[in-house]
Amino acid sequence: MKYMKVIKLNWGLDFSCLKHEATCFFVYPILIGLFLCSCTTKEEQLPIFGQREVVGADTVYHHIAPFSFVDQDSAIITNDTFSGKIYVADFFFTTCKTICPIMKTQMLRVYEATSEMPDVLILSHTIDPEYDTVALLRDFAARLGVESKRWHFVTGIKDSIYKIAQTSYFATAMEDKTEPDGFIHSGAFLLIDKQQRIRGKYDGTKEEDVNRLIVDIKRLRREVEN
Amino acid sequence: MLKRNLSAVLYLFTLVLLGCCTAKTDNQQTYSPKFQQYYVQGEVLYIKHCSNCHQLNGKGLGRLYPPVDQSDFMDNNFDNVICTIKYGKQGLLIVNGIDYNMAMSGNAGLTELEVAEIATYLYNTWSHEKGLVDVKEVTQILSKCNN
Repeated sequence: MKYMKVIKLNWGLDFSCLKHEATCFFVYPILIGLFLCSCTTKEEQLPIFGQREVVGADTVYHHIAPFSFVDQDSAIITNDTFSGKIYVADFFFTTCKTICPIMKTQMLRVYEATSEMPDVLILSHTIDPEYDTVALLRDFAARLGVESKRWHFVTGIKDSIYKIAQTSYFATAMEDKTEPDGFIHSGAFLLIDKQQRIRGKYDGTKEEDVNRLIVDIKRLRREVEN
Repeated sequence: MLKRNLSAVLYLFTLVLLGCCTAKTDNQQTYSPKFQQYYVQGEVLYIKHCSNCHQLNGKGLGRLYPPVDQSDFMDNNFDNVICTIKYGKQGLLIVNGIDYNMAMSGNAGLTELEVAEIATYLYNTWSHEKGLVDVKEVTQILSKCNN
């Protein structure tokens, strides 16, 4: 008789435990379990790119190596500039007529989409530092209509830029006089988290890929907040 | 009496509607097959050679790349535009009162016909309605460019 609790719902369904004992033992616990699960489900985290090592009990992930460049305001830009910030990095040069203008159009979308996110910055490296001086980058940024505190255009020692592109960001950047623009470089946008780890790679010439980047930036921000 | 008035109004209304429809499609439908050929090929070439900077919508990008949609420069410098498509442009350029200073590299590999096709596309898309830019005209202009 102890299972005689009859739950009569308004619409006349009979959830009597006596009639269908299985309901009490199996269906209800599963339903309750599912309900609890749905409350605690965690959003899937973005992947962490690159090799990892286990040192003692810790996993050490691939990080962006130390760098020091100069931006369009002649300010020194280092890893510290991005401490506690999420940022999107790319490689370009101002005289490039192939993929760079599309990349800049797409990066401008990222810039606009993150206008209300003070913890999200953009870092564009020139791969033609001999031509792209600070003054030229300053003019370029101003003509694009973007603020230097949110979008840094940096120049520096050519080898340092190529090296950090290849080894830290896994992006291709090198001189090649046989190419129409004189350089080979990828159109990749890299999403870097607050621990300076790569969390996403996107084709900066494709609108859909950049849409995904914008969604991932929001995901990454939520992850940090939790 | 009222009925007759009503049907007269309806008749007029239908006429106006029809007028609107035909006026809208006029540009595309009544142009010659030659125009269509130039225009379609011009679009392909525009996407390949021009849209990276000037954008698919012809609006340009910031103060870096000038618009090819509404552009007083294009309206007033037709010959110059034809030369620019093939030979590029350097130095300061004022479009709609805004200064641009990014060098445009030329497309020396384009044939005269291809330049005419791009020009036909440019001058008949977005806010432009110039009509066909014939290859004969382009050949003449290109022979007089200062490049």
